[in-house]
Amino acid sequence: MKAEHMEPFVSAAFSVMQMLTGDVPTRGSLSLRTTTFTSEQVTIMAGVNGDVEGMAMYGMSTETAKQIAGAMIGSEVPKLDEMAMSAISELGNMITGNATTLISQKGYDVDITPPSVIRGEQVEVSTRVPAIVVPMNTQFGKVEINVALAENTSASSKVA
Amino acid sequence: MAKRILVVDDAMFMRATVKRILEQGGYEIAGEAENGELAVRQYMELKPDAVLMDITMPVLDGISAAKAILQADPKAIVLMCTALGQQNLVIDAIKSGVKDYIVKPFQPERVIEGVGKALGV
Repeated sequence: MKAEHMEPFVSAAFSVMQMLTGDVPTRGSLSLRTTTFTSEQVTIMAGVNGDVEGMAMYGMSTETAKQIAGAMIGSEVPKLDEMAMSAISELGNMITGNATTLISQKGYDVDITPPSVIRGEQVEVSTRVPAIVVPMNTQFGKVEINVALAENTSASSKVA
Repeated sequence: MAKRILVVDDAMFMRATVKRILEQGGYEIAGEAENGELAVRQYMELKPDAVLMDITMPVLDGISAAKAILQADPKAIVLMCTALGQQNLVIDAIKSGVKDYIVKPFQPERVIEGVGKALGV
């Protein structure tokens, strides 16, 4: 996976988080994950397809998810109900959408699929390629940005 | 009489947020839909003054729904409200007759300004 595909997700995550919650996150150390790994308690998953394809995942604890959802909704979230889960899902949608906009500016034709939110500990997630992981440290807790993307070698359009 | 807006987004959170922004801006909510297919049906039934449409949705995406609405009613006022800002999408939407393209996340003022301008109010 190319680093140039990772950076748009980090950039988008930071700017979307700031715009939605007012928080200014800080960046943790980058790491690489094998193709099969355990998710956090709450994981937003969004598919990316086109010239670059794969998966973007944003993992966080239940408490962090409740706090972020509360900041987005504008009131305290005592439990992750349908509205809170929708807010968290939309967070993933905005980050992934904004990131693919940045990727498209480099000449790639990409699209996203509607996100899914998975809840549960010790859930194994398999990706076709290893994921690059960047922790985003927020006032609500850590959000792990996992990006597992590969260039689609069968696509007709290529970077100029 | 307040202008009536149809709100289309697959995310309950976004529908609630957009509805609140519009109501605070003096608009009435004509209805809401969670995918493009329902949006087209709702448009024909409710005849809203404008539609605020997401793009990435299951069943039928927002660009396809916007085109279907505009084909049925060339005077329809449709604004896209989406996380996708790719230039080709913006161009495709505007060429289809969409009046504005609002990228998420947005400030509430951007939505009110866009809807007001599109409706000429």
